[in-house]
Amino acid sequence: MTHIDPRVHEALDGERPLESLPPDLRAEAERLLEVAALLAAAPVAASVATRVMAHLAEPRPSRLRRLLQWIARPQAVTFHLRPVWSLAVAAALAVFALLPGGGPLELGPEEGIAEFVLPASGAHSVHVAGSFNDWRAGGIALEDRNHDGVWRATVVLPVGQHEYMFVVDGERWVADPNAGRYVDDDFGRENAVLIVRRASR
Amino acid sequence: MASGGPPDLEVVARVLGGDGEAFGIIIRRYEPGLLRFATRMLGQQDAAADAVAEGLVRAYRHLASCRDPARLRTWLYRIVANRCKSHLARRSSMEVRLDDAPPIADAADSEAMVERNEQMERVQRALATLPPDKREAFVMKHVEGLSYEEMAQATGDRIPALKMRVHRAREALVAALQEQEEVL
Repeated sequence: MTHIDPRVHEALDGERPLESLPPDLRAEAERLLEVAALLAAAPVAASVATRVMAHLAEPRPSRLRRLLQWIARPQAVTFHLRPVWSLAVAAALAVFALLPGGGPLELGPEEGIAEFVLPASGAHSVHVAGSFNDWRAGGIALEDRNHDGVWRATVVLPVGQHEYMFVVDGERWVADPNAGRYVDDDFGRENAVLIVRRASR
Repeated sequence: MASGGPPDLEVVARVLGGDGEAFGIIIRRYEPGLLRFATRMLGQQDAAADAVAEGLVRAYRHLASCRDPARLRTWLYRIVANRCKSHLARRSSMEVRLDDAPPIADAADSEAMVERNEQMERVQRALATLPPDKREAFVMKHVEGLSYEEMAQATGDRIPALKMRVHRAREALVAALQEQEEVL
């Protein structure tokens, strides 16, 4: 990393006039401005306006149809891992496994159950997106069945480690505040981590 | 912010009132900046076009959730930035690459044009070496001309953190450019 004199940063941040810098620092600041100008002028992707407007003109499938499409689509199963609840979840999984004829959820040999919970009062929608569904933001919806601002979804996921985030109101990505682990997502934020364990049988 | 034409607030109200065609005004107004931003973030024009198209469709679908239509521009940057993030999440940072080769020089090109293309290529390659958060900060600040307040609206991060990120991005970019010059 190259050190840049703080006065150059101040000038580039508009906190002091460029002209107030000594010649060498001014040249450094101007070099960065030239770089920015080149990036602004470089070719970019072609317009998508026609494509977007055509897409918007298509009738949107009904909620029921979207639900059916979602059900028909192969869904990875989520297993949520939080230290406090992990024993309880493991116990619940064991109960499922021991029930004659199996529990309400059909688990494959390499699958487990995850419950996602997010307190989000005032939210209109909450989804979970993660490494298990290719980060599709609208794939798995949480529900606020009790209308108490706590959104929940129970899903089946492949065993192993997964990263995920919640998507509130379709556009605000938030990390699970109750996750046991987080990893840097390279954007200065952190993804929550869950580990799905194989249900004992 | 809107330069020329009806203000964003009015356009948003028209769209929400059922005039879907009015969304075209929003696209025409902000698409160039969003495409430039996504292209610089992803380094690939096809991926950038996908990210912006997905972002605009999402923006249309969720326009009612834009609580402050006067800040529509930063709301759109936020959505497209998230789309870019999603695209980047699907590929490792090692796979981030620029579109192949700069524009091919033609015999009719002047020497100055060839040199400019080479410079542009070097700058884009240097930018691509920055981690996504720094790349985003530099592009928002210096290429898109967002203020720190607007960047805070677009990213959800605090201004002091963004300022520090922009400073680090400048330093990393200068270092990457110097490294390229040493190689040449």
